[in-house]
Amino acid sequence: MIRALRGVAIAWLILVLLLAEELVATFVVPGRLGPCIVLGSGMVMVAVVGFAFMRLRGSASLAQAFVVAALFWLLVLLGLGSMDPLTRTDYPVAVTRFP
Amino acid sequence: MSEVAGPRSLQYETPAHQADAAMVGMWLFLATELLFFGGLFLTFLVCRHQHPLGFALAGRNTELVIGAVNTVLLVTSSASYGAGLLLIERGSRRGLVLALAVTAALGASFLILKGFEWRDDFRRHLFPGAGFGLSGEDAGGAQLFFAFYFIATGLHGVHMLVGLGLLGWLALRARGGAFDRGWTTPVAVVGLYWSFVDMVWLILFPLIYLLGRAG
Amino acid sequence: MSVTFEEPTLRAQVHPVRNYLTEDGSLASWLLTTDHKRIALLYLGSITLFFFLGGAAAALMRLQLITPGGYIVAPETYNRLFTMHGIIMVWFFLVPSVPVTMGNFVVPLMLGARDLAFPRLNLFSWYLFVAGGLVTLYALFVGGLDTGWTFYTPLSTNYVQGALVAAAVGIFISGFSSIATGLNFIVTIHRLRPPGMTFYRMPLFLWSIYATSVIYVLGTPVLAITLVLLTFEHVFHVGVFDPSLGGDPLLFQHLFWFYSHPAVYIMILPGMGVISEIVSTFSQKGIFGYKFIAWSSISIAVIGFFVWGHHMFVAGTSIYSSIVFSLLSYLVAVPSAIKVFNWIGTLHKGFIRFDAPMLYALGFIGLFTVGGLTGLFTAALAVDVHVTQTYFVVAHFHYIMVGGMVSAYFAGLHYWWPKITGRMYPEMYARVAAVLIFLGFNITFFPQFILGYLGMPRRYATYAPEFQVLNVLSSAGASILAIAYAMPLFYLGWSLVYGRRALANPWGATGLEWQAASPPIKENFVVTPVITGPPYDYPRPELVGRHV
Repeated sequence: MIRALRGVAIAWLILVLLLAEELVATFVVPGRLGPCIVLGSGMVMVAVVGFAFMRLRGSASLAQAFVVAALFWLLVLLGLGSMDPLTRTDYPVAVTRFP
Repeated sequence: MSEVAGPRSLQYETPAHQADAAMVGMWLFLATELLFFGGLFLTFLVCRHQHPLGFALAGRNTELVIGAVNTVLLVTSSASYGAGLLLIERGSRRGLVLALAVTAALGASFLILKGFEWRDDFRRHLFPGAGFGLSGEDAGGAQLFFAFYFIATGLHGVHMLVGLGLLGWLALRARGGAFDRGWTTPVAVVGLYWSFVDMVWLILFPLIYLLGRAG
Repeated sequence: MSVTFEEPTLRAQVHPVRNYLTEDGSLASWLLTTDHKRIALLYLGSITLFFFLGGAAAALMRLQLITPGGYIVAPETYNRLFTMHGIIMVWFFLVPSVPVTMGNFVVPLMLGARDLAFPRLNLFSWYLFVAGGLVTLYALFVGGLDTGWTFYTPLSTNYVQGALVAAAVGIFISGFSSIATGLNFIVTIHRLRPPGMTFYRMPLFLWSIYATSVIYVLGTPVLAITLVLLTFEHVFHVGVFDPSLGGDPLLFQHLFWFYSHPAVYIMILPGMGVISEIVSTFSQKGIFGYKFIAWSSISIAVIGFFVWGHHMFVAGTSIYSSIVFSLLSYLVAVPSAIKVFNWIGTLHKGFIRFDAPMLYALGFIGLFTVGGLTGLFTAALAVDVHVTQTYFVVAHFHYIMVGGMVSAYFAGLHYWWPKITGRMYPEMYARVAAVLIFLGFNITFFPQFILGYLGMPRRYATYAPEFQVLNVLSSAGASILAIAYAMPLFYLGWSLVYGRRALANPWGATGLEWQAASPPIKENFVVTPVITGPPYDYPRPELVGRHV
């Protein structure tokens, strides 16, 4: 039993270390790289939770297919959805109303 | 292969069949939740692109300490839940109940800290609307950030509350002896949900607390 | 193919006295049922109510549009009418329509299963639907909305007059009903297929239900978050979508249409599945190009998520993104066209019977094709600049959703009516209704193509006098449609009491659902079937020879 719990403990440690790394990277890494590393770390943490706690590896292949599909659709939403805002010319509108 | 169906027979052939369907069903539900929060992430992306300075300003006005502590609490709660699942899979009913209690306590602490954080945000007039606390030409963008902040953390909090409810329900059933080595499926299913809520936070945390302070 | 029974004992064996309807008649047994068949009937009642409510709104609109001055209702009321018509017809009739009625009833039967994967979730989804419907009806009757079913900002957040929050909440709740239904179907189709039924041995109705469920499950959550954002902005005037506060109104449209375009595929795919079944049965011939139709369903579901920007060509999106969306919109038409060709290929050399379901199905093929082709016109950027927000678009989507989907809904309802109720409907009345629907529909909506092309805008309570003739024609057609849609209500209701009792397989169709009794026993099958051959296993026409 202790052996099995060890896996959980190691995963927890990795997550805490990644959190520390995120915090450090926020203040230390300059320029555009900082946000990339920070978000990347977040995604790694998500992956650790998925594999260690949710046992994605050992789950039914159908469940794994659902995860892949969900991630793919999320990419479509974020990618295709930001295609227009990123390529559009935003004409600044004067803030005329104060709520 | 063919079997005579009595009046009380299920559509499942074995308990393992039903357990598998339940797990697969929960994974699919989490996929829908990912798309739900995904719309929020798109909003953040677009607004941040249109108001980079406002978002940076607002990001610096979030309470990093509470956010970081909350992250540790949630991550630990996922770990404690994982431990609980392992314990019941090895037959320890008491272990499961203890783990559920620890998980629920950590989750409740998260919500309490969040409550304090929100109270502070309201005191500093960071809720978007009339009388917004930050001023200057980036204030509009900052307001948008805080709109996202309150909606995202609010929705996340609602999911946490539902999770706490599920934990309580599981704990009651576990104390009544519903789970043992042979039947742990509800525990695994709720565990998936709880870990997913944790995952959402692991993405929200850098978006809210770190991006505005980075670079 | 009618059979009369002389011996009462034979009748009892073929028409079991104990079936899912007679099992337990108390109200509690219906409201707390987990039997997918009863839940299907609960849904059937609910969406029929909504259909006639939405239809009433349309009737008032068509009345208004008989005269250019429009003296029936005030413009503000007209705005509320088309909003109500859109919201009810989209979310409370079409989006659920076939999946929750025929899907719920027939899917487990087609799989030889006892029930869906999650029966209690199924019941919960009906309660969610009813709750959402009640809240939305409250919103619509307490004053309604004037934004149109599309809720564009900043009109809906800042200037709307009406019960926006209630409407948003109602639709939000009903969205979870959809997600639950879709989840149930996906898990059922993956995990409850009988021994021997590989994916390629499934009837095409299951493929289309599966594809629809994928959209339910992945698209509806984005609608949910959109409504949350909309409500938040409306209540707190934050400005996420309000340009004068620094927000982006197009962001709302992107989020809204990310769901609402796939939603139109939710509203057609199940109908296509029904048509595949009916065309095959009433040609007594295996479906032509089974795998093509199966994968076309999946393709439509997937590609349908990539094309939403075509609703925003004139909204101010970048030309770059508009080009991409236009191209992808052309792509999504291909699988639909493949299906149409394959249905026609199925008819070729088949033994065609013109029973009512087949008449509806043939009507579907014609009307859907017109609607689909006009979709290609509107997908072209240059054309869309002129026809967008005109009656051309209105006619386009009504050809698909009403001419197509509603016809398919009626087709399926008639096709599976013997299975569901154990009764045959009166065939002659049904055929008359089917033809009347086809004629009435064309008279109503074809003039609208011309009107739109000539420039009549949509969502206007009044119009320029030169459009009157076509509008009168359209309204006249609408009155025929109203009668034609009311007819099934009467003769189907009549058949419940006086209809001839049906055999298990009145159409001579393949498919597991026809091996269950009509109506089925609560457990569906006494013996779980084993599948040993392909679907649509009709003898080849060359082997049968001339059909007498």
